Amino acid sequence: MAVRRNNFCGSPEHAIDRRGFLGGVAAGAAGLAGLGVLAEPAVAAEMKKQQKRCILLWLAGGASQLETWDPKPGVETGGPFSAIPTSVPGVHISELMPKMAQRMKHTCLIRSLNTRNGDHNSGAQIMIRGRRDEPNLKYPDLGAVLARELGRADSQVPDYVAFYFATEGRGSAPGSAGFLGSRYAPMELYKSMMPENIVRHKDVSDGDHKDRAELRDLLSKQFARGRVSPTLASHNEAYQRVRGLMASDKLFDVTREPQTMRDLYGPTQFGEQVLVARRLIEAGVPFVRVSRAWWDSHGQNFETHQEMVPELDHVMAALLDDLGQRGLLEHTLIITLAEFGRTPQINPSLGRDHFASAWSCSLSGCGIKGGAVWGKSDQTGNRVVDGEIGAAQLFATIYSALGINPQKHYYVGSRPVPLTDPGTKPIKAVLA
Amino acid sequence: MAANPEKLKVVSQLSRRDILFGIARVPGTARVFLASSDAGVYVADLSQPKPDFKEIGKHKSYVTSVVLAGSSVVSGGYDGRLCWWDTQKLTQVRALDAHKKWIRKLAVSPDGRALASVADDMVCRLWDAASGKLLNELRGHTEKTPHHFSSMLYACAFSPNGKHLATGDKTGHIVVWETATGRQVTTLEAPVMYTWDPVQRVHSIGGIRSLAFSGDGALLAVGGMGKVGNIDHLEAKARVEVFDWQNGKRTAEFPGDKFTGLVERLEFHPKGDWLLAAGGAMDGFLMFLDLKAKKALKQEKVQTHVHDVALNEDRDTIYAACHGRVGVFSLKG
Amino acid sequence: MLMGGNNRGRSLNDYLTRALKENRPWDRIFRDLVLPDENDPAKKGAGEFLRSRIMDLDRLTAEVSVVFFGVNVSCAQCHDHPKVDDWKQDHFYGMKAFFSRTFDNGGFLAEREYGEVRFKTTKGQEKLAKMMFLSGRAVDDPAGTRKPSGEEQRKEREQLEAAKRKRQPPPAPKFSARAKLVETALQPGQGDFFARAIVNRMWHRVFGHGLVMPLDQMHSANEPSHPELLQWLARDLVEHHYDLRRLVRGLVLSKAYSRSSRYPTGPAPRPDLFAVARVRPLTPMQLATSLRLATTDPSSLPASLKLEEFEKRIEQTENSARGFARDFEQPGDDFQVSVTEALLFSNSERMQRDVLADGGDRLVGRLKQIQETKVLVDVAMRNVLSRAATEEEQRLLGDYLKRRADRRVEACRQVVWALLTGSEFRFNY
Repeated sequence: MAVRRNNFCGSPEHAIDRRGFLGGVAAGAAGLAGLGVLAEPAVAAEMKKQQKRCILLWLAGGASQLETWDPKPGVETGGPFSAIPTSVPGVHISELMPKMAQRMKHTCLIRSLNTRNGDHNSGAQIMIRGRRDEPNLKYPDLGAVLARELGRADSQVPDYVAFYFATEGRGSAPGSAGFLGSRYAPMELYKSMMPENIVRHKDVSDGDHKDRAELRDLLSKQFARGRVSPTLASHNEAYQRVRGLMASDKLFDVTREPQTMRDLYGPTQFGEQVLVARRLIEAGVPFVRVSRAWWDSHGQNFETHQEMVPELDHVMAALLDDLGQRGLLEHTLIITLAEFGRTPQINPSLGRDHFASAWSCSLSGCGIKGGAVWGKSDQTGNRVVDGEIGAAQLFATIYSALGINPQKHYYVGSRPVPLTDPGTKPIKAVLA
Repeated sequence: MAANPEKLKVVSQLSRRDILFGIARVPGTARVFLASSDAGVYVADLSQPKPDFKEIGKHKSYVTSVVLAGSSVVSGGYDGRLCWWDTQKLTQVRALDAHKKWIRKLAVSPDGRALASVADDMVCRLWDAASGKLLNELRGHTEKTPHHFSSMLYACAFSPNGKHLATGDKTGHIVVWETATGRQVTTLEAPVMYTWDPVQRVHSIGGIRSLAFSGDGALLAVGGMGKVGNIDHLEAKARVEVFDWQNGKRTAEFPGDKFTGLVERLEFHPKGDWLLAAGGAMDGFLMFLDLKAKKALKQEKVQTHVHDVALNEDRDTIYAACHGRVGVFSLKG
Repeated sequence: MLMGGNNRGRSLNDYLTRALKENRPWDRIFRDLVLPDENDPAKKGAGEFLRSRIMDLDRLTAEVSVVFFGVNVSCAQCHDHPKVDDWKQDHFYGMKAFFSRTFDNGGFLAEREYGEVRFKTTKGQEKLAKMMFLSGRAVDDPAGTRKPSGEEQRKEREQLEAAKRKRQPPPAPKFSARAKLVETALQPGQGDFFARAIVNRMWHRVFGHGLVMPLDQMHSANEPSHPELLQWLARDLVEHHYDLRRLVRGLVLSKAYSRSSRYPTGPAPRPDLFAVARVRPLTPMQLATSLRLATTDPSSLPASLKLEEFEKRIEQTENSARGFARDFEQPGDDFQVSVTEALLFSNSERMQRDVLADGGDRLVGRLKQIQETKVLVDVAMRNVLSRAATEEEQRLLGDYLKRRADRRVEACRQVVWALLTGSEFRFNY
């Protein structure tokens, strides 16, 4: 049966709905077969709505904290942009983000990341997995963990979708299910808005495609009789998901959105991908990563950010508005994150270089105390003076916002592996 | 003895903590006004061995350009403001909110009467240099790049007789205007100056950063850099193209063979002996280009990125506004 | 396990293939890999094992411990192992000390006679690591903390430069820490790690489940499922000069191995009882090669083919499968087949137009010429699954084909597809 793995946020306003929902689950547990729970439309709709999801806007190459979330106008390292007030009194962000400034009540800022790794590859791996791999243990990334925690075993949609069209940096942090196994590996889109092999080959008719799959099932069932193996079961499950996933091709088709909606997100590649991300999320995909590359502004930092930050501001604001109108914002966590930030020091090419000692990210929506600001960098932005955190605490905070216990254990063989390093605490101050 | 690029040497290099984007010299003196990243406008006498840099006033962001117009020096900055300062009393005469976005460059007509400002709102505004009255708005540069991002309007320059004004934007589009009427006389394209990377990094770099008319007004030089491979860096060769603009023909190109980076400033020798191109990336450069032979006469490395230069009347002394310093160079034989 | 999953290891692969073909004893392979003689052309490629890992000593230390001794000491890198009393920081750094003097010199391995490893204990004290094997046996180091004089260093540099210029391995040190590791690990009493690890690994390879699981957790807190058996096999291996072929033969001829993977009634027994054979997914290369072979017209590989020619053809098939193999994932212990693979098999151009092509030398090309359905089904079954069709399968596939009499070629393609995507083909059982 369809057992959901996620937890509820526990806020009082959802108590009644939760009871209604749990009733449905209890009935299912008592013997409703197969997809019985889903057949109850009210419960199904509620379930779909309450399911928690996450969109990661991955600012690959390292966006500048000084030109986004942690401006330092008027100091030597501050650059030319001013800071503007936001809808939350006392909180200022870069003038390049006027739209997000008006929506700060949904967003918290973390201005005290010190992740100690200014290398694109290893930095990206840490920031996408929340920790460093061990020689003999590959950790799952955020998407794989959320696919497992928030996805449904029998899901008809993908659990983890990742867009990364630019080629630069793509290899730095490929989606990775690590020890969770390929069931939770991402469906990666590199070139086309449509996933590979999701559309039926034109030489096979729909009827034959369906019939041959049934033939395959019959043959494989004979083989599976009397054989017990999780791997064997996963083989059949993978084939059973094929037809459902093929039906999700429409989710990737941005032209199915009305023009007004497409205008809202804008015509850029990033805008279109985030719109598709919203379509996926709405259909129950628990995790989508949209990578916007490439921010590595060693030369012309200000021109680069003048070009790219307004796009981020626009698209992110459109996403928050759109999710809000659909009643999905409180169930969807939106993260902006990169492998690191950029140096306060401005080089002679008017660039900023790699910098992991004091940088920022943002969390919006699900489980977040909007308008909260955690941590502080010093006046020049060179170091953290308050609330320093690393990747582990950030991940613990993300998991907590999504109702997942960051100290939950997985088992690799007999070895217990907690979701975040032992003893890591989330930042309660930014959690709703 | 005439200025000789072969004799180029450093006279002095003065270190500063800020980035200097613009420099303007008071005729007949070594007194200069400087536009600084610390939002200040400074004055200094560079004939002194250890000049005192005096701040005369402030913008709210980087000051990007300073020009002299009669008894005033006018500064423009990323705060969108134009400020007039009295060159003697060093007091503010006037301040205007001139543009909604960053002001990139100012130019003054040779008779000193008209002031042009270009900004990222993609408008060139013409002002009465004496009164600050808006004379005209020149609109001919699109606000968005072909790739749906905000464009930028970096450069402007008057012709020697003041009748024409050229403006150049990020995408390599150049417009020549009739100053008196605001009419577009012609447009030119230097598309190599703009690099859009649709595959690796999905953004852009480059743009036309400098413009200059020749002494006889027939040629228009355009500066920037060539196509960039890795747009994380200013790694393309510094580039100059020269147009016979009235006939819409490109007559010369200097794709660069020695220095990488942007050509931030162009200045013709009035007799046409050479064209000076100054700019840089992590380092800076001064290049003297021979238009007849279509080759570089002299190319010299400068310790750091050069953003602007001012030359004296004999064209044998160069005052340079650079990243973290002010340089004085001599071409005296 | 030794290849480290990259393409650079071609020469290492050649070495291993040759070594296994001539049944080189496991202790000699170990010696060749950890103490390669790069002057010996017969052992060319063995040095690649160290060379490709030497840039990252921590990784090398961890991998050598895992591969040859069945022990994962990497947790002990930062602290004494929290759960396993056996592993202390001294063990990790003790093992690392055997490798820390080794470096790459112009593409050849070089080793110094001096050099030390220091580490910070969890209490923050700096400590000098003694060369120490996993058993706790320490090795006397003649160099100690001695530092070479300026003159010695200059001479050493010259020697190294000269070797580089001549494209030769530099001279071996008088005292080699790596040689000491090999010597210690193979000494009676210390050898338990070495012999038990390979026995467990081979057992895992044959049965799909080790006598100790996971393979890198052979320590006192993780008992083998069959301790006497493991001990007996390890002793037998040592007594017979680490003869891997003998070991594998023993395992394959065992009663346990002959058991069916099917357990007909009741709940299946735990895997560590080995009462039922384990189904194991094919590796990417196995899968890609099998796909290629299974869809080759059987008449193009007749029994009359000379052995030499046959081997050549198999090699060609393997080579042509290499590209496709990259699309599949290397199965680990708890491998799960991804939906990406299922989509690839279901909808890709490659599958439809290449694997299932109906050209002259392809299986579908052959099937389409067979009129009689029963024969067709049998040829398909034998080619893909190497067995005759059951009656039920004859009926199932026969019906499927009959209902598509108007598109017989397509129907053949679909039947072959259903066999190729079936679990019987995907797994070794």
